[in-house]
Formats: sequence, structure tokens, C-alpha cells
Amino acid sequence: MIELTPDLLGAVTKPARYTGGEWNAVRKDAAKVACRFALSMPDVYEVGMSNLGLKILYEVLNCRPDTAAERVYAPWPDMETAMRERRLPLYSLETFTAIREFDFLGFSLQYEMCYTNVLNMLDLAEIPVRAAERGEGAPFVVGGGPCVYNVEPVADFFDLFVIGEGEAVLGELVDAFIAWKGEGCPEGRRGFLLRAAALDGIYIPSLYEPRYDEAGMFQSLTPLHPAARPVIYKRLLADFDAAPAMTAPVVPYIGIVHDRIMLELFRGCSRGCRFCQAGIAYRPVRERSLPRLRELARQMADATGYDEMSLTSLSSADYSCLEPLVDTLMTDFAAARMSFSLPSLRVDSFSIELADKLQQIRKSGLTFAPEAGTQRLRDVINKGVTEEDLMAAVGAAFRRGWKAVKLYFMMGLPTETDEDIIGIARLAKKVVDLYTEIKGKRGVKVTVSVSCFVPKPYTPFQWFPQNTLAEFDRKQRLLKEHIRDRAIQYNYHDARVSRLEGVMARGDRRLAPVLYEAWRAGAKFDGWSDQFREEYWLSAFGKCGVDPAFYNERARSFDEPLPWSHTSPGVETGFLRREWEKAMAAALTADCRRGDCTGCGVCQRLGVRVVDGRRKDG
Amino acid sequence: MAEMKLSFIYRVAVTKGEALRYISHLDYAGAIQRAIRRAGLPAAYSEGFNPHMKISFASALAVGVTSDVEYFDLEMTEPLPPLDVAKRLKAALPPGIELLELRRLRKRKGTLMAEADEAGYTVDLPLTGTAEQARTAVAAFNAAAECVFHRATPKKTRDIEVKQYVAEDVALETDGDAARLTMKIRITPTGSVKPGEVLSLLVDRFGFPGDGKAAGLCRRSLTGRGKSLLEIDD
Ligand code: SF4
Repeated sequence: MIELTPDLLGAVTKPARYTGGEWNAVRKDAAKVACRFALSMPDVYEVGMSNLGLKILYEVLNCRPDTAAERVYAPWPDMETAMRERRLPLYSLETFTAIREFDFLGFSLQYEMCYTNVLNMLDLAEIPVRAAERGEGAPFVVGGGPCVYNVEPVADFFDLFVIGEGEAVLGELVDAFIAWKGEGCPEGRRGFLLRAAALDGIYIPSLYEPRYDEAGMFQSLTPLHPAARPVIYKRLLADFDAAPAMTAPVVPYIGIVHDRIMLELFRGCSRGCRFCQAGIAYRPVRERSLPRLRELARQMADATGYDEMSLTSLSSADYSCLEPLVDTLMTDFAAARMSFSLPSLRVDSFSIELADKLQQIRKSGLTFAPEAGTQRLRDVINKGVTEEDLMAAVGAAFRRGWKAVKLYFMMGLPTETDEDIIGIARLAKKVVDLYTEIKGKRGVKVTVSVSCFVPKPYTPFQWFPQNTLAEFDRKQRLLKEHIRDRAIQYNYHDARVSRLEGVMARGDRRLAPVLYEAWRAGAKFDGWSDQFREEYWLSAFGKCGVDPAFYNERARSFDEPLPWSHTSPGVETGFLRREWEKAMAAALTADCRRGDCTGCGVCQRLGVRVVDGRRKDG
Repeated sequence: MAEMKLSFIYRVAVTKGEALRYISHLDYAGAIQRAIRRAGLPAAYSEGFNPHMKISFASALAVGVTSDVEYFDLEMTEPLPPLDVAKRLKAALPPGIELLELRRLRKRKGTLMAEADEAGYTVDLPLTGTAEQARTAVAAFNAAAECVFHRATPKKTRDIEVKQYVAEDVALETDGDAARLTMKIRITPTGSVKPGEVLSLLVDRFGFPGDGKAAGLCRRSLTGRGKSLLEIDD
């Protein structure tokens, strides 16, 4: 057991990140379980503790009497230094057990910029960073989360990946492990990995080898063993309503990013925004029923004592029974003074009425995501939002007393021209003017937040070259010049981080040495702007002789083999191609949630269907 | 007829254990409020858009300090039997917060904050010098008429004369390499001093041979006019 002394904890910021002991944390006797599973997100406690997927897996695994799931997050650099000085290995928050003593170490990979933290955590845990160097007895390092739709850049560091919804697979993985262990670990590590390869949704990177041609173009990922399937399709819960759910999440002592109950209304979103990977990865839409949500809300409220509940989903306002649900919950929890929030507002007045009913905090303002500055470009990305929709929505908000709105946009989208960039400024100005018109006076605050577009695998834009750094810089300046109203605050992202994300998102296994070198040089917490150091990366690319532009700036041809095609969410490439063509023609594709199937292929491939309360075929 | 708003006040004594040493007062209070909600107790709330539970604490405890006894007053909308309230609360409190005692107040009193006027602390730390050096340092501190601590927070800095808040001579016990300091500190409407601040003065100004960074601080008592805050004179 790892012991933390006062001189250590007294010297680091937010020591409560490292001391555990929270309500609902599950502590089991190691001698009484057959499998110990460490669950992690490679980021700091407050971020990792807010991840819904991990909370669900924690409960699903701990429901099994034969398994103990514990948590571990990335120590902040001050804690890391203190731990290294004292030679304290990375440990779990439940029982302060060294992570290297666990059977599994699972990482939720939410964004590419966390990769160096994975390496750093493995090193802190005293687990060999490269999977090939791990001996018998080392934990199996597992990856999951949205990054699995191209994990090749980190494939060398993991023993296996779970493709799709973890709660649909982990039980089988643990069963296989316990059986293998019970038989005396036949054929060692590799013996277990071969068994795991037989499970649907499990990808074992060491069973494949990438092939490149003389020009250095990726040719194929070749299976090296009969157990290795050419394509691993995602696993998912066909019946989300009946699936085991989170009922008693761990309640932290210190404030975390999402410090409230998360009631997950449904999985998936098929609005079909062409830049959005989540919109493909989590298809099809599967709703929970109102009675089930009501029951889960009650269980979580009783088990946590939280006074705030967020109605979570990719687009919560699309829930088919949202109004009755909100009314029911507000009645159920009136005496408990529970407050509710809708994290993702649609751009329409229905959303505003709901936000108003929920008395969503006025001063923090409402957030909308038009994503692009002109109608033409919004059509290209299939964001079915018109200027009238936006004006109606913000107008309704202003009339109901809101004084601040946040507008989210992207730059660097396919077909984008300067006119589209200037359109962002124009739209923001219109919102300011609308406020003055409605209220007869100035006094609104409009925040325009613009991110740099990163093309992602399994989207219609997966072949598209990312903008160059110079292009992003120029567009950011151009937009700045056109924002003249002092009521508009303009925030933009660090294009260098987005560019690196662009490299990793569509990279292949040749990036592993780059990652390794960047980490050795000191890269970590790359997603934190105050921690990101571009020089570590530049020198790593130089040292390894890898040109990042090959990955992010290059337009791919449609017949080029893609290094992520073996870990698939089930979408047909033909659908993505058609969506690209339609984008070029600025043609729209409708949502299949309540309308006709638009042929993405996920339902047919995976044998599932859309579940929505207002769908005609039920 | 207008609805009569009755309220019922319970005074509760709890601990802040080792598991919660590094939790701020605000987070500690939050943990207790969530426990009250889990216990399903009919807490009273303020009116308005952003309702707050009607709960008030005696005295904020600094980060890094545990406590043998903390007090809070909780207002409820129903007069449940104290034993019932205690039973439900006990089951809902997180590890590190132990329920010591709970009483229903017969009538509304002033705020707990105003009642508490003295706190006792112990500071346990390893000695880096001899017991003799430690005794000399403590004696010199006790003999000093005045002693100013320079308190710096991210927002402002302030000089505080510390001795006016030290109610009794600081006592010292040593056992081999270990030392324990016992101090009684006044809490006044115009201010107070933290035990950690007294400790850093002892080390930095009076040459106390101890490793302040490895010190374990604990609040042992919190009293009003010499009495426990649970000894209520109705
Ligand atoms: S297969 Fe059809 S119905 Fe299913 S998610 Fe794709 S487009 Fe929608």
C-alpha cells in the first residue's frame, strides 16, 4: 500500500486529487476477487472524474463480485515531481495499490492530445511503455473511447483496444481473463491476447503488421495470426433502455468539471453534421424511456445527494419526450430543490423555452453552435441551421432576460472562403444589433469562440487536408479585423495544438516513435494550453525524420488505403463518399432519427435499429 | 390564513478526519450538505432562483487541518426526533466525517459563528534539533510581548499581531524525535490567527527545530465562553 505523507501532500496543489476516500467509491478486498481492473483517463482528477463512460464502467465492473475496479488519474506535474523524488509508483485511489499490481489498466482516450500522458502514466506506474516490452505479470493495458477509430499512433503502447461501447464488451473480456488465469495462464500473455482476439470488438494491435510501399504510402495492416480479424466492428448496446446503468456515481470532495448528476437520455446523434466523428461513431440513436430515466434520476439523487442534474446526450433537445420528462423531473425533485441543465441547446426557440423553464443560469449565458458563418458553408457541413433560426433563438433568449450568448464556430472547413470567415463577424454583429433592437439599449455580451477544424477518420471529411498554420493564422487575423463591436468577445484556439491533433487523428504507426521522443523530451498535458510546448514536438518529428504535413496537410485520394479502416464504427465508406459529394454540392442530408434511413449502413452492419419515442415504425 | 413558516434547528457536532485533511472548508461544508440530502432530511432552503440550504458553521477550518470536533446548525422544516435525525445522518456521512452529537435547539440563538470564541489545536511534528532547543524557542515565543506575522494571500498581504490571539502559553511535549505543540487561539469578531501561522513564526522567527512541512495539525476543541458549543443554556 502506497502511503502519502503530510510533507508530500502539503506541498502540492489540490492534494484532494490524490487522497480518494470519496462517497460511493468501492473498496474491495483484493484477496476476494479474481480480477483487478484500474480505470483511468490520462488527465487530471477533475477532468477524469467527469467522464461519463468511465463512471459507467466503474459501476458495471464493480457489480461483479469477482472483480474490483479502481480509479487512477494523471498526477499534475507538481505531484509527478514529488512522486518521482520519493520513488512512489502510480497508485489507485481506492486501495492505494500500485497500478502495476492490477490485472488490467484501462485508459479512456477522449482526445489525441492525451497520448503523452498515457506514456507518462505507464512510466510512473513502472510498467514498460511499449507493449512488446511488457513481461508476464504486467497489467494488460487497454484503450477505449472515441480515439479507437484511429488508434494506430498509439498502437505500440497498448496490449488491446475495446472498440465501441465498453459496457457491452468488458464483461466478456473479464470472463476470458478469469478463465485463462484459472487454467494457470496457458501460453502466457500472448495466450490471453489470442483468446481476447476471439471476442467481438477487441483489437489486438500486436497481431497485425503495417505494410508501406517504397514511396512510404500505407498499403495495409496485415493480420499475422488466424485469430486476427481483418476488420473489428464496434460493439454497442442494442437495447440501451434495458442495459445496466450508472446509479451511484462517486461523489468527489473537490469541485470537478461536471460536478453534478449526469442523466444520459440517449446514445447517438444522427443529425449528420459532416465534420462530426461522434455523429457517426455512436450511431444509431437509442433512447431511454421516460419511466427508466425517472427511476435512474431518483436512484442517483438518493445515492449522491447532488442538487444539480444535467440531462446529458449529444443533442439533448432532440429527446422525443423532453418536455414531459422535464415536467416530471421538476415535480419529482421540487422539494429537494434540484436544479436541471441542458448542456446542448438546439438553435431554436423550443430550446429557449425549456432553458427558461429550467431557469438555466442567466449570467453565464446560453451557448449555440452555428459552426459556420454563412448559409452556404453551413449547408456544406450539413448543419441544418439557418440565420433565421439563430435570430429567433437568441431573440427569444433576449426577451426572456438573457444578456449573454456564446457562439461556437470552426475555421478551416472544406470550401471555406474569406467570405465565410467574415460571415462569422457579420453574424455576431447581427446578434448584438438584435439585442439593441429588442431591448432599446445596448448591454449584451456576445462571445465568439472559433476552433480550428481537425478532419477526423470516419467522417465525410476524412480525405480533406487540414489548413496550414499560415492559413489558420491569416484567417484568425482576418476575423479579428472584422470584429469591431466592443460587445463581441473573440476567442480562438491555438492552431498549433489543432494541427498536432490533426496529425495524430489521421496518423499511422510511424508516429509512435515521435510520440515517444516528444514524451521523453518532456511533453505532457498537451491539451492544456499552459502546458503545451511545441518545441518538444518539433524536435521529435525532426529526430524521427517524420514530416507531420504528410498526415495533416495532404489531400488523400479516395482509393488510398486508410490506416484506420480495421477499427470500424460500422459506417459504409460509400456513404461517407456520397456525403462528401453532397458537401461539395452544398446539398443537405436529413436526420434518420424520425425520418427515412439515409443509408449509412451502421444498423444493417451491426444488426441494430434506431430507438426513438416519436419514430413511426416504433 | 397565511401559512406559518416554522423552522426547527438542530445543532450537530462532527469530526473532520484524516481522509479529509486536505479538503477546504467550502468543500467540507458541501460534503455535509450532500450527506444531509442523502439522508433525506427535510432541510430548509432559502427562497429564490438559487436556493441555499439553511446551514451555518461555527468556524472555518484551514486546509491541512483535521478536527476532533466541528459544529454546525441545520434548519429543518419538520421537528423530527433528534435520535432519528442522528441515525439517518450517520448512515449518510462520508468516511472521515463522524457524527459525535446532535441536539435540537429549543429556540433560535445567535449564529454559531458569534458563539465560538476559542479554539484549541495540537501540532505534531518531527524535531530536527534537540528538545532543549525546542523548549527555548517555545519559551521565547511565550515571553514575547508582540509578534507580527506577515500574511500573504494571492489577493493582498497584511501584517497581523499574533500574540493578541494566543489565549494561553503554547505548551510543548517531546518524545524522542517527535514534538507536540498545544495552543489555544482566540477567535474575535475582528480576526484570529491560524495554528499554521503560529507554527511558522515559531520555526522561522524563534528557531523552533521542527519540520513545519511534515506537521500534522488538528483542532481539538471549539468553545464559547469556556463551554462546549453543545452546552446550551436555554
Ligand atoms: S443505417 Fe440508416 S437508420 Fe441506421 S443510423 Fe444509418 S442512416 Fe440512420
